[in-house]
Amino acid sequence: MSHARQICRRLHEEHLGTLDLWGKIEQACGARTRPESELVALLRRGAAEAALELERHFAFEEAELFPRLAEAGEADIASLLEEEHGTIRDAARGFIELARGIGEGEAPPPPLRRLALELAERLFAHVQKEEMALLPLLDDLLDEATDESLVMIYSGN
Amino acid sequence: MMPGPFAGEARSRLLPMSVPFRYFGAAVVFQILAWTLLARHADQLAGFAGGPSPLLGALHLVTLGVLAMTACGASLQLLPIATRQPVRSVAAAKLAWWLLVAGVVLFALGALRYHPPTMGVGALVALLGLAVYAWLLAENLRRARGMRVVVAHAWVACCALLLTLASGFALAQGYVHGFRFDRAALALAHLTLAAYGFMGMLALGLSYFLLPMFALCPAPGPRSGYASLGAAASAIVIVVIGQLSEAGPGPLGVAALLGLAAALSHIVPMELALRRRLRPALSPSFLLVRVSWAMLLASLVVALASALGWGYPRVAPLFGLLLVPGWLLSFNLAVLQRIVPFLASVHAYGSGRGSTLPSTLTSEPLLAAHRALHLLALAGLLLAVALDITWLARSATLVGLAGALAFAAFFLNVVQRLRAARTQPPTTGESP
Repeated sequence: MSHARQICRRLHEEHLGTLDLWGKIEQACGARTRPESELVALLRRGAAEAALELERHFAFEEAELFPRLAEAGEADIASLLEEEHGTIRDAARGFIELARGIGEGEAPPPPLRRLALELAERLFAHVQKEEMALLPLLDDLLDEATDESLVMIYSGN
Repeated sequence: MMPGPFAGEARSRLLPMSVPFRYFGAAVVFQILAWTLLARHADQLAGFAGGPSPLLGALHLVTLGVLAMTACGASLQLLPIATRQPVRSVAAAKLAWWLLVAGVVLFALGALRYHPPTMGVGALVALLGLAVYAWLLAENLRRARGMRVVVAHAWVACCALLLTLASGFALAQGYVHGFRFDRAALALAHLTLAAYGFMGMLALGLSYFLLPMFALCPAPGPRSGYASLGAAASAIVIVVIGQLSEAGPGPLGVAALLGLAAALSHIVPMELALRRRLRPALSPSFLLVRVSWAMLLASLVVALASALGWGYPRVAPLFGLLLVPGWLLSFNLAVLQRIVPFLASVHAYGSGRGSTLPSTLTSEPLLAAHRALHLLALAGLLLAVALDITWLARSATLVGLAGALAFAAFFLNVVQRLRAARTQPPTTGESP
């Protein structure tokens, strides 16, 4: 889907990156033949993404986008997505801790695999909702000036 | 049940859970009734060509009771997301359900008892229900923003629905007071408008929104969507005009070719989009989607062969089987398998634990059993009609009934698991 606003395009690209990485993690966790070292590398990438990029993405949405949605009368969608952020953060915390605890040459423990699969599914469902409901709404709500200022804020300028 | 923040918000695009779920629940029950009726009268299947009979009742239990019911429930919930407009009236959505349920029950009872006046009353009540739904649909589409391909398909579906209601009313009147038109031609126009027009266009249109969402893949470009829609709408118009003007089989052949072009313009880009999905694992429900696409193509091939003079004696029931349980029912059930847990998970929200995962609300063994039974029943029915084997038809309908019961168990299980999820503490974030 093509978006009219820059910030929507930016968030969409990040969603694609998240889906790509967590799709690979989900597949690797389910596959028996893949070398364990590859899976460990993917899980570490997932933990790094969850700790930095995901948190940045969530914090921006909560600070800048959800209040605008609520003001526009779409508080229900904003609070649903915010509640999902909380759940994903909880799952991500446990996942990051376990992923960081894997020593060199060790296989990922079963609880880490389970948590990775849960986090992957939660992220897929969350991205589905944001792509379906959040981004099209923002395309409608934001004007050009607000769009530009949001891009600046998100870029950290 | 704990009221979520959606309750009472007129602007919300997410309906109260009871609205779509009453439609889905009714569809689940009517599917069981349809297979039961079909099993009891399986010996008439190979010779069925319409007219008041238990099989006409079974047909309408599927078309009105399952397909239209699901189409109404799903579109009332999903179109507001696609169009970015809330449903105009939740009360009207509930009224449409009551009228549709009452109408389907009366119509089926009338058909079962060979009693056209009861069928006529049932048809009238169901028509009123669908007219209320058509108003809600048109109101939503009139103010629609975004997803223009979906909206365009929904407009064609809405127009087809109005013509379906008109032709259905004419048929009901004919059964009670006698026909002023050729009954078979009117029935074919009605079937085309209802199956390919109303339900078909909603199925194809919502696919541009639903299938990419389920598979996490890009939606096909709008050009193929409009091409498919244009070809399909032209084919439907040609069938209706051809039938009502008694123009012979020529227009039917042209329409079947256009229909094939429309179906391929839909299926091929959709398959290419699915190959670009970002989540490697594809839900098993896509097996039913793909079977439904194959059945759609097969129905059009049979229609084309029939228009070209294929003198096969059981072409009408074969075509009906490919079209109704083959394409539309398989597709509807595939979509229901995904949207029932998805919507239930969304409605678990508000309890402080984020939305419950759809997978934790889904019993995969029940769905796997349903898929196997549904496909087995379909294959058995097609073979039974093709070769005129009554015992096989009866066995296949019993397998279909078992499949419908498995689907009902899946639906009830989702509702039970949702209730349990709402009353239990959060299980998210396993402790390291």
